[in-house]
Amino acid sequence: MADAESDLLRSSLDLLILKALSWGPMHGYAISEWIEGATSDLLLLEEGTLYPALHRLERRKWIAAEWGLSENNRHAKFYTLKPAGRARYRAEATVWHRHAEAIAVALRRTSSELL
Amino acid sequence: MTPGPRWRRVFRHRSVEREVDDEIAFHIAMREEKLRRLGLSADRAHRAALDRFGDAAKVRDECITIDRQYAREVHLMETLASVLSDFRLAFRSFRKMPAFTAVATITLALGIGATSAMFSLVDGILLRPLPYAEPGRLVRFTQAYPEIGLDSWGLSQENVAMYRDRVHELQSFAGYTRRGATYTGDGRPERLSVIRATGDFFTVLGVAPVLGRPFGRAEDTPRTNDVAVLAYGFWQSHFGGDRNVVGKTIDLDGQPTRIVGVMPASFTFPRPDAQVYLPLGLDPTRKFGWFLTGVARMAPGVTADQVRRSSTSLMWEWARGQPGLLKAGVDPRTTRMTTTIESLRDAITGDSKRPLEVLQAAVVLMLLIAIANVATLLSSRSAARGREMALRNALGATRGRVVRQLLTESVALASLGGVAGIALAFVLVRAITHSSAVSLPRLGEVSVSWRVLGFTLAVSIAAGIAFGLAPALGMLRGGLASQLAGGAKESAHGPARRLNNALVVAQLGLSVVLLISAGLVLKSFERLVGMDLGFDPANVTVIAMPLPARKYTDNRAVVIATAQIVERLRAIPGVRSAAIAWTLPFSGNVNTDGYLVEGHTPTATAMATQTVQIAIGPGYLSTLRIPLRFGRDFNAADRDSTRPVTIVDEALASRYWTGGDAVGKRVRLTGDTTWFTIVGVAGSVRDQDVATEPMPHTYFPFAQVPDSRPVLAIRTDGNPAPAITEIRRTIAELEPGVPLDNIRSLDDWIGRALDTRRITELLLVGFALLAVLLAGVGIYGVMSLYVTNRYREFGIRLAIGAEPRTLVQLVLGEGLVLAVTGVGLGVGGALLATRWLRAILFDVSTTDPVVYTTLAVGLLTVAAASCYLPARRAARSDPLLALRAE
Repeated sequence: MADAESDLLRSSLDLLILKALSWGPMHGYAISEWIEGATSDLLLLEEGTLYPALHRLERRKWIAAEWGLSENNRHAKFYTLKPAGRARYRAEATVWHRHAEAIAVALRRTSSELL
Repeated sequence: MTPGPRWRRVFRHRSVEREVDDEIAFHIAMREEKLRRLGLSADRAHRAALDRFGDAAKVRDECITIDRQYAREVHLMETLASVLSDFRLAFRSFRKMPAFTAVATITLALGIGATSAMFSLVDGILLRPLPYAEPGRLVRFTQAYPEIGLDSWGLSQENVAMYRDRVHELQSFAGYTRRGATYTGDGRPERLSVIRATGDFFTVLGVAPVLGRPFGRAEDTPRTNDVAVLAYGFWQSHFGGDRNVVGKTIDLDGQPTRIVGVMPASFTFPRPDAQVYLPLGLDPTRKFGWFLTGVARMAPGVTADQVRRSSTSLMWEWARGQPGLLKAGVDPRTTRMTTTIESLRDAITGDSKRPLEVLQAAVVLMLLIAIANVATLLSSRSAARGREMALRNALGATRGRVVRQLLTESVALASLGGVAGIALAFVLVRAITHSSAVSLPRLGEVSVSWRVLGFTLAVSIAAGIAFGLAPALGMLRGGLASQLAGGAKESAHGPARRLNNALVVAQLGLSVVLLISAGLVLKSFERLVGMDLGFDPANVTVIAMPLPARKYTDNRAVVIATAQIVERLRAIPGVRSAAIAWTLPFSGNVNTDGYLVEGHTPTATAMATQTVQIAIGPGYLSTLRIPLRFGRDFNAADRDSTRPVTIVDEALASRYWTGGDAVGKRVRLTGDTTWFTIVGVAGSVRDQDVATEPMPHTYFPFAQVPDSRPVLAIRTDGNPAPAITEIRRTIAELEPGVPLDNIRSLDDWIGRALDTRRITELLLVGFALLAVLLAGVGIYGVMSLYVTNRYREFGIRLAIGAEPRTLVQLVLGEGLVLAVTGVGLGVGGALLATRWLRAILFDVSTTDPVVYTTLAVGLLTVAAASCYLPARRAARSDPLLALRAE
């Protein structure tokens, strides 16, 4: 994975996890499936990187973890969005939108002169 | 989240790794399954799943690290929360027993507060280095000539120049003297405390002014010495800290004096009351007048002893050239004549050292008693709470948890006491440093030292833990379950009771030591206060009356003016008598000299005593109520033109004559050729120090040896206050140049001489009484517990016909065994400890049997009274109540 892509991915991964969990409790595998689907397989090249991110979010008390049974009756660890996580998601998503738009506009510019 | 924090913590600890492994395995298995459903073979699906997952080992490590950190954080938070809840529980239980908490807190606060305050004093006064450059090299330099009774002999101007120039072990040397000067600022004249010093004064001390410059040798010759350096306090109070003060000219004793510098606030040499420093105007040809004190800075690496040896041989060389001085035939080669070199710190703090050390020891004893007392209280209480603890244990709290809670309570209690104690220390130190009644050196440098506070606090908290732990462990050993069963109370409390008994004996013993020390000091102080001084200071008002030097240039003018003032004062209603004198008792301002009696060959022993010389006006003796034993008082006929006369006192007369034989004989002073005829014999007086034997006095008529800085003594009928306004008005009218800011009662003046002793006595007695109170509380607590524990037994004994009196005797007997043991140990301790008090005792033996017996019996009585209440409760035990309580 290219370095530039890795940095961008790391900061956006947290946001994507929070977004994924906004639909309800999920285990790690389901989250990775959701991210792959939602980003057209673009962002998650190594699925393992998801887990340190999940554990870090748990330590920051944005999400909570609990063991339960998966859809196919296996022992799986489920993550739930906590109120603090939900607030964090809202704040970060706003920033992300603003930045992304601003950067996109800037990158699309064809003239060096300012209007 | 359903699982409680405790469960989760345990769970997490056990399986951080396993959980991570399970989680990763689940993911890979799910992926594999999906890939297989898409048609891949099992083998390829497995490899593809692993491949897509990435570096599983790295992920695993990262996750484990994060989880471990998280677990640690959770654990820490939980510990904090539970400690906090322990403290909350402790404080809640304090609220349920306010009396216990208050007694324990106050006890600890007194111990910690008094100890910290006293140690702060000792630290500031005795231990901290003087605020001068390299203070270790500073010494006070005086002379001594023991053969003629001059144990402390000042320096003449000739001496100062000699030591300054010729003692090579000294880097610099200066002489100084304290003498007042009248300052006329705007209108009202005011008496200032002035230090006159030789040119090297500031060099010796090594302190630079904050403003301007110091004076030096150039300004230290007669007629060039018209400059002044101000002390910081005087600069603030009289010039409002004006930074342009340097260069201004002020009027001192009618002399225009230019201000050249201002010293820093920390410079308070030789005493904090110094207001102005003036160059002395050193004249090395002045051989007489030994009124200077030397202060010197030793050269690096030189000891005080080297300085003493070198300067003493110089002194002898000088003395050989003074035939008049050695008239008594003292051979300068064999004389004990010597220079006295003291470290400046000892010289400044010398007199306060022993009293401070005694008080320091006293507060340590008090802190020990306080700690022992709180320990007794705690252990009694934890014994009484055995059931509560057993119940907690039965309800699921582990033993560790129960012990921790008891410990938390002790620490919480110690902290409460500590906080109150720190507050008390600040209040005490402030009260002492701001009190006008306390005259200790270096008081301005005293502040509550955090080092001291920290130490005392640590000691008491450590003690709190130790004494909280001991009964808790004892309780656990005794078995919590037996507490619930309620039986075998007595045996369960065996170790705790032994500890309590030991603590009570210790408290009693320590209080006896304190009490006896205080008793001795109190008795000594009463001896001092009750001492017949030979004069009656009551209702005598003292006014220092320095006449303006410019106006009174000759003696005749002084005599006329003072006589007129005295006469006018006598006419004021309420004034019984008034008189003028050079000085009054306890002014600390005294002229002494050797004397010769006509017809008696001077011997070495006769030379060994000196006489105090005071010039007094007519009526002085009757104003002070000094009895005139024989002959007559001075009167208006004794003038400078008439025969020189003197009145001696019995302390002098009894050495040579009996009864009134002295009258008509003649004496003269060494260093003077005039013979004075004795016209009267007055009673002896103690006017220098209450504790020393009366010195011989020679009184001269003020009219024959006047002085322009005399004092007035005025005796009023009863309270002098009403007459004082009129006295002020009269003096201001007759001589407006006299500063009237120093009007005091003679009692006050004498009281100041006893200040240090009075403070020592008051504090020591206070400490001792507190100690007794604490010991009383201690023995009461222990005996109450004893009765509580045996309440059921007593009840049953009463029920089967025991006499209530027997039970009272039983309990009292138990208590008295403790009391007698404690008091006995204490008396032994006091016999050893009070030897150390000898230096501050006056006319009282350190083994004074009356003090020992009275106080030992007194303390036994207090102990017996403290035991009586629990004993009475034992006698009233109700068997039914006792049984039902189980």
